[in-house]
Amino acid sequence: MVTSFTMKSDLHIGIAGGGLLGRICAWRLAMAGYQVTLFEQGEFSTPLAAGWTAAGMISPLSELEAAEPLVFHMGMEGLCQWPAWIEQLTKQTKRDVGYREQGSIIVAHRLDANALLQFHQRLTRVLQDARPRENTPELTQKYSRIQESKWLHSDDIHSLEPHLTGQFQQGLLLQPEAHLHARDFLDTLLTALSRLGVQLLDQLQVDCFPGEIRSAQHSGKFDWVIDTRGTGAKLQLDGLRGVRGEVLIVETDEVRLNRPVRLLHPRYRLYVVPRRNQQFIIGATEIESEDYSPISLQSHLELSSALVAVNPAFAEARILQTATNCRPAYIDNLPKVKVVPGLITANGLFRHGYLLAPSVVSKILKPIEANATVRNDKQACSRLEVTNDNR
Amino acid sequence: MSDKPLTLYGETFHSRLLIGSALYPSPSIMQSAVKASGAEIITLSLRRQGPGQEAGAAIWQAIKETGCKLLPNTAGCRTGKEAINLAEMSRELFQTEWLKLEVIGDDYSLQPDPFGLLEAASELITRGFKVLPYCTEDLILCQRLRDVGCEVLMPWGAPIGTGLGLLNPYHLRMLRERLPDLPLIVDAGIGAPSQAMEAMEMGFDAVLLNTAIAKADNPVLMAEVFRNAVAGGRHAYLAGLMLPQQTASPSTPTIGMPFWHQHKSNNSQ
Repeated sequence: MVTSFTMKSDLHIGIAGGGLLGRICAWRLAMAGYQVTLFEQGEFSTPLAAGWTAAGMISPLSELEAAEPLVFHMGMEGLCQWPAWIEQLTKQTKRDVGYREQGSIIVAHRLDANALLQFHQRLTRVLQDARPRENTPELTQKYSRIQESKWLHSDDIHSLEPHLTGQFQQGLLLQPEAHLHARDFLDTLLTALSRLGVQLLDQLQVDCFPGEIRSAQHSGKFDWVIDTRGTGAKLQLDGLRGVRGEVLIVETDEVRLNRPVRLLHPRYRLYVVPRRNQQFIIGATEIESEDYSPISLQSHLELSSALVAVNPAFAEARILQTATNCRPAYIDNLPKVKVVPGLITANGLFRHGYLLAPSVVSKILKPIEANATVRNDKQACSRLEVTNDNR
Repeated sequence: MSDKPLTLYGETFHSRLLIGSALYPSPSIMQSAVKASGAEIITLSLRRQGPGQEAGAAIWQAIKETGCKLLPNTAGCRTGKEAINLAEMSRELFQTEWLKLEVIGDDYSLQPDPFGLLEAASELITRGFKVLPYCTEDLILCQRLRDVGCEVLMPWGAPIGTGLGLLNPYHLRMLRERLPDLPLIVDAGIGAPSQAMEAMEMGFDAVLLNTAIAKADNPVLMAEVFRNAVAGGRHAYLAGLMLPQQTASPSTPTIGMPFWHQHKSNNSQ
């Protein structure tokens, strides 16, 4: 739909919220030739966004453990989009953001073996009638890759992940699933944005209105305003809440993992995701509380003990960082994109930011692209008239 | 079927299913499931929700919107003292003296600590709380809890979240027989509607559960099933269950067998 650079450059888009959604939207729009201004309440180098704290998993099947089938379908659509985005971004910046499509491994302690069976039962039920929502070859191919998911016995687990402790007799390999380094991705996007000439304004708290973004001192007019502030939009959006999550980031030379490993437990959902430089991110608690204070000792114990269960050598890992944030969620824990003339509000991606971002971003961009097409047609018409007059 | 309502601390309820508010895929599914369950009492936790800063306000609001009576719990407390502090906070936050008292003695099984529980229950009752203690099915513990002023007891069926059902039916039955007038609610460990029904058939006054509904593939449907199972079990109890017999007893006399032979065969058992 985006036809050329020059025809779009007169449209000015203001985006409030420099997290995952805001940065991706700014990037897509700037590349399509729009003039873009991006606002962030925190600092761009350390934004307040939930996506900054996230592990960066793009795992539509694993999330079915607690999420609704819709999240799975949107996530599969996301998996189709990610490789193209990553390729473009890598070409622009020459940086590796750690995107890997290796699937995930799900394990449970012997005592909790039924948690694994129960999860498998749920997966089977949801997946047996799972059809793509759209009939594109990419999506059909992604859905067919679900067949590569399988039960693993201890030998299979050992060959895929030699450093996973031998106490796991059974597990599941889930395909297709991917992960990336969330912070590297957001940092790299920032680099791309500044090269593309996006106006970047941080440490500014703003409110969004149709065609207008206001801060305490300033007001800016835009053709479109996109509100991707996450929990930062709480005062303006009814029914939005924050759900606390806590993570640990550790480093050790002793353990190597190729892909995310999830540990099922009757009460917790915990994962370990490998990152560059022998680092690992372990998350995440899910506490119904809008509390940004540092990690609790209880959560620290839960996350640490899950990690040591994955491999006892983690006991000597060094804790580089603990982080806490709140995921923006609506009452149904599903994302919403609301469009009124001049204002697009997208929020509520909950614990599925990286999984759902492509699907949500395409919803956000649709009205802007449609609007631009109308303009272009009008411009084209007027040019045509001029040509006629000249004749 | 006419039944007298469930009376707890002087308040009456028509539903005999109490429901938990955690672990659902989303707050809106929680609300729909609670509605489908017909429950009139809902438990909620605040230990990890930042009660001092009211950081859990959004989820508490969603729970309040169910219209159920709130039963704040002290889940996550490991000592009586911790539970008492949290109880005071919850009374202030939710304007209710009702409290599901949990004092956990073992981290893995989340088994109640009977000693800490009794101590905390006793103190909280003197402070005016209406305490519903989550306890084991031990008769002596239950008698002591009653003696310090608990007007309802909530013995476990099995450890929280296990879905193992009534692990000790012998003790549960004895508890029911020995404390016939004290409302007893089987709390925790119920995984299947049939297990809830079994508890109700035994004469327990109500059942409290969470995981079996919240973690079902279809929580709303499962809530409805539990509603029916609890009502069915209650009705079975009221209707009077037959007692199991060792021998077959034909409902019509066996024609052609002499009376004395019938008598003899019964005696030989």
